Amino acid sequence: MDGSVARDEASAAFFDAAAEGRLLIRRCDACGHWLAPYLRMGATIERCPVCASDTLHWTPAEGTGTLVTWTVIHERADDSTHTVGVVELAEGPWLTARVDADPAALAAGASMVVGFDRPGGGEPVPVLRLVGARPSD
Amino acid sequence: MTSGGVSGPGLSGSAAIAGLGITDIGKVYGRTSADFAADAVLRAVADAGLRLSDIDGLLTSNGMTGGGSFQLPETLGMRDLGLNVTLSAAGATASAAIQYAAMAVTSGMCDAVVYVHADAPLATPGMSSAAAYAGAYAGAPARPPQGFRGVARANGLSGANPLYALAARRHMERYGTTTEHLGAIAVAQRAWAVGSPLATMRTPITLADHQASRWIAEPLRLLDCCLVSNGGIAFVVTSAERARTLAQPPVYVWGWGQGHPGYSMERGCEFGLVSGAGMSGATAMKMAGISIADIDVCELYDCYTFTVLITLEDYGFCAKGEGGPFAASGALAPGGALPTNTGGGQLSGYYLWGVTPLSEAVIQARGQGGRRQAPSHDVVLVSGNGGVLDFHGTLILSGQPR
Repeated sequence: MDGSVARDEASAAFFDAAAEGRLLIRRCDACGHWLAPYLRMGATIERCPVCASDTLHWTPAEGTGTLVTWTVIHERADDSTHTVGVVELAEGPWLTARVDADPAALAAGASMVVGFDRPGGGEPVPVLRLVGARPSD
Repeated sequence: MTSGGVSGPGLSGSAAIAGLGITDIGKVYGRTSADFAADAVLRAVADAGLRLSDIDGLLTSNGMTGGGSFQLPETLGMRDLGLNVTLSAAGATASAAIQYAAMAVTSGMCDAVVYVHADAPLATPGMSSAAAYAGAYAGAPARPPQGFRGVARANGLSGANPLYALAARRHMERYGTTTEHLGAIAVAQRAWAVGSPLATMRTPITLADHQASRWIAEPLRLLDCCLVSNGGIAFVVTSAERARTLAQPPVYVWGWGQGHPGYSMERGCEFGLVSGAGMSGATAMKMAGISIADIDVCELYDCYTFTVLITLEDYGFCAKGEGGPFAASGALAPGGALPTNTGGGQLSGYYLWGVTPLSEAVIQARGQGGRRQAPSHDVVLVSGNGGVLDFHGTLILSGQPR
């Protein structure tokens, strides 16, 4: 598996913006509550958990946040590692994404910026970098 | 926090676990989960000194491999059941099942209820845990998932290991918990497993062994993670009065509770810091009429060492954030002040979701622990934990009538 991601109807608007380097998250029209674009296992919320409205719309986010937690996953098959983190976006929702940083440089509360990578040449997926750091590849 | 009307003090001790059936367990190949379930039910009924025709209620749960629930009455010839339900609260199912079984027998709905859990993810000798669980996932997608599920897959958060690692890392960052603290839990439970003939891993380990074990998902090492096991375990629940007439010492159900935090995964969320054990434990202890100081033995759901640590904190055995030093003090190990996971737990004993701690609790409350029997065992606390700290259930059990 090359890790490439294909779009579907529910994710099309998100990937269109991501291709331009912009992070979209969702916002409730009724009460203004912000929601993550996707949950950690890829599900999406279809109804505002605060006011129960189903009028959620894609809205630009700042694309910055602070690191909540992270893990370095070790793959036994090829002895590789990769890091996945959870960032608390400036708007409040948590976003789970790959981390492009030396794990030794990470700490809870670290300022992060959301960029995008295209694993396997597929759709652009969010990647977390330390503020001021350049993409490693 | 109130326990609600149904678990009022009048029900404390009114039901009892009267039978326990444990099949061959661990690396046992060539049997289906349905077969393990049937075997476990027969063993539990015989253990109680009952006949299968005495059972009029059935509760079932499945691990990864499913099967059995619908076949069981047919397989065993169980007729005219007054209760037959499959439950699912992930790892918290077992503690919940005993609660509903107790309600069924105290309400007059049933006379004797069997609860059984079975699983058989290990297909062949030498199979890795990861392969066992990957193969056991029913309905695994044939093609890579699209859209955001594809993003999640690309992130590599498959299975529970990295998700619990995220929880443990957050706790470490907030409270200074260390991998050595987690290691103390693994070492203590292995020391208990040495004394259990049921345990899969019975060679003692040291903290150095823990620290030398390979990373799975940092900060979790191999020895922070549970085993994968085949087998089945069943329990007979009946009224306290009837239990006193049966073959085994009754294990009375003094109290029960559940707590499901509903993590928001946004600003203010306590994922990794606080579990549902606080709410669940308070409810159970209130029903039982006891405080934390009255608990002699803990049998805690231990899918990971970290699960034990956060559960101990939230029940109140130590202050929030002090679970690491508490474990490192030796309190949990043989000879310690709070014997915990006395059969080795899921880390070193056997991994059958919530029936791992529940089965050992019954053995301890009966005083049948042999070499691993905790010296004081009047009050035994059992926890269940499911999802990624999403579900929690608690039982307070005792060999003493209420």
